[in-house]
Amino acid sequence: MPHTLSRLGSDLREIAQEQIEYHELLASIVRRDLLLRYKQTVMGFGWAIFMPVLNTIIFSVIFTRVTRLDTGVPYPIFAFAGLLPWNFFSSSLSFALGSLTGNSSLVTKVYFPRELFPISAVVVSLFDFLVAFTVLIAMMVYYRIGVTWAVLFLPVILLVQIAFTIGIALLLSMANLFYRDVKYLFSVVITVWMFATSVVYPIDRVGGRLAAILSLNPMTPIIDGYRAVLLHGTLPALRPFAAATVLSFVILAIGMLAFHRMEFAFAERI
Amino acid sequence: MFEHVWKKFRRGEYDDSLRDVIPALTKRMLRRARPRTDELNEAQGDFWAVRDVSFSVCPGEVLGIIGPNGAGKSTILKLLTKILKPTRGRSEVRGRVGALIEVAAGFHGDLTGRENAFLQGAIMGMKRAEIARQMDAIIEFAGLGDFMDTQVKRYSSGMQARLGFAIAAHLDPDVLIIDEVLSVGDMAFQERCMERMKQFKARGVAMVFVSHNLQQVSMLCERAIFVQNAVSAHGPVQDVIAAYLGSATTRHTNVTGSPIDVLEARLTDASGAPVTTVAPGTPLRLGVDYVAREPTTDFHFGFVLYRSTDNGVVYDGGVQASEVGLSTVSAGDRFHLDFEFRPHLARGQYHVECHVFHNPSQSYLGRLAPAGVFGIAETRTYQGVADIELSCTSAARPDAESQRVVPASGW
Repeated sequence: MPHTLSRLGSDLREIAQEQIEYHELLASIVRRDLLLRYKQTVMGFGWAIFMPVLNTIIFSVIFTRVTRLDTGVPYPIFAFAGLLPWNFFSSSLSFALGSLTGNSSLVTKVYFPRELFPISAVVVSLFDFLVAFTVLIAMMVYYRIGVTWAVLFLPVILLVQIAFTIGIALLLSMANLFYRDVKYLFSVVITVWMFATSVVYPIDRVGGRLAAILSLNPMTPIIDGYRAVLLHGTLPALRPFAAATVLSFVILAIGMLAFHRMEFAFAERI
Repeated sequence: MFEHVWKKFRRGEYDDSLRDVIPALTKRMLRRARPRTDELNEAQGDFWAVRDVSFSVCPGEVLGIIGPNGAGKSTILKLLTKILKPTRGRSEVRGRVGALIEVAAGFHGDLTGRENAFLQGAIMGMKRAEIARQMDAIIEFAGLGDFMDTQVKRYSSGMQARLGFAIAAHLDPDVLIIDEVLSVGDMAFQERCMERMKQFKARGVAMVFVSHNLQQVSMLCERAIFVQNAVSAHGPVQDVIAAYLGSATTRHTNVTGSPIDVLEARLTDASGAPVTTVAPGTPLRLGVDYVAREPTTDFHFGFVLYRSTDNGVVYDGGVQASEVGLSTVSAGDRFHLDFEFRPHLARGQYHVECHVFHNPSQSYLGRLAPAGVFGIAETRTYQGVADIELSCTSAARPDAESQRVVPASGW
């Protein structure tokens, strides 16, 4: 047991050291990924706005014309405030998924912490998130939703989401390196996951045993948190959000450690 | 530092889809859980790619690693750069490592040369400010002045390699690891690279250099190791190169069952004693035995001398069969020729090929290579092939002062 602990300690120290030593490289890789994205596409940053807007329109038609859904705030802004962070989450993961296998020439030829690839995928998606956030601000102005001091809590929610996303991104990219099936499995899982989160409808409408299972999903308190501080001007519900925070950082730690210990096998197995 | 490093690889394919792994996992669970070992499981196709290899390199020293393809050279470099982890043993590098394992590995085709230079530099551990400061020197070194803002996918492979090496050449590493990268680029560029590596060496950078170009290895390294998964030879570079060249894995062509077989050859000095290393110009004799299997006429005995380190032809000639009274041979004839020659050559390793060549059909009737192997030892040349018996005298010129040309006025 003391041995396990000391190994854990030295691993954590190594991880921290590497992150500091290579932070410039992370910046360079992020810059590369951003450059590539906006070089190869005509719309550039427009895509960051286009996807959540399109989804908001689709779900607004469904939930206001086909069937009415009472959400407390106008439905379009309810949906957009959910789709925006969800998009950040899901696009981070889908970029991260192929980030190691897509850079195989680097993984097998040069040594640097490989965490940089999935982390860079998350950072690049964060840029898109910030760009699309301007649309949310515009919608808040349009629907005359005032902000309260609760908005100061926004960075905390974002931080928890980033921690959770990086943790999952590390595990996914690693899994995809070893087993290429993960890619196909992911596209199914992420769709199911979206409807298991309160992205386009309030999840508390689901009752019974299913609700108990759904409450384990840390993305729901995170997304509800965004709505609370932005649309309702209140702090997120304490217990679910605290639980999500703890879980997110546990996942991040597991992801970092597992990644760090498996790293040596990457070049052999890619 | 490399201490008794072993690396296990497995032949064949890994299970890399879940479909394969689920049966494999259940099989493993049904059997008793076997602890993971560092022992070899030959039934599963394990083998040692690197077997008990040790070496160390001091600052300012260049270690050459030579060996045939698949001998584990690149694996050793990957173990050094921490890309792979040794199965047993320990590998340690102190200081900043620059790796030239594949110079264009980090390039992305859609970025321009300049953007890639920043990225590649960062991957190699340079700070952004450092790269920006060196950018002009990098462009100059690569000779890509007008192309730095062109996407790298439009570059020729030589241009990519040049840019890659130029970035690496402006690193400031403590340890530099170089794998077979100088084979790209034109002559002038290769020259510049060799020059740069000598500068690194003078600056006290420890280098490990892997190459099939033995000429470059012998020029750059003092010490070398010859690996065939395990270390086959280590020591001063000339000895190791000689061991590599003498090993059975290097080209041995002996066409047998041909119309005239070159049976065997013996290299001796003028007195008949076998030789290994001689001084330039020492008279040597190569005695060769032939046997004719078919009646043959109109052919010649070829004698080709190669420099072994780069297979460069030093001499290619021979004698017509008629000149030595063998214009026609019949089946079963055995005969012996003594070739005498003086190798006026610079230091290095050389080998001789003997063949029999049919003039009308322009084809080999029999061939033996290497028929003889020898080294030349001397200390006067830096590089080159021939010993031209250079001499130099000096004489005082008491009238030098008066002979100086004075420019005419009016210029």
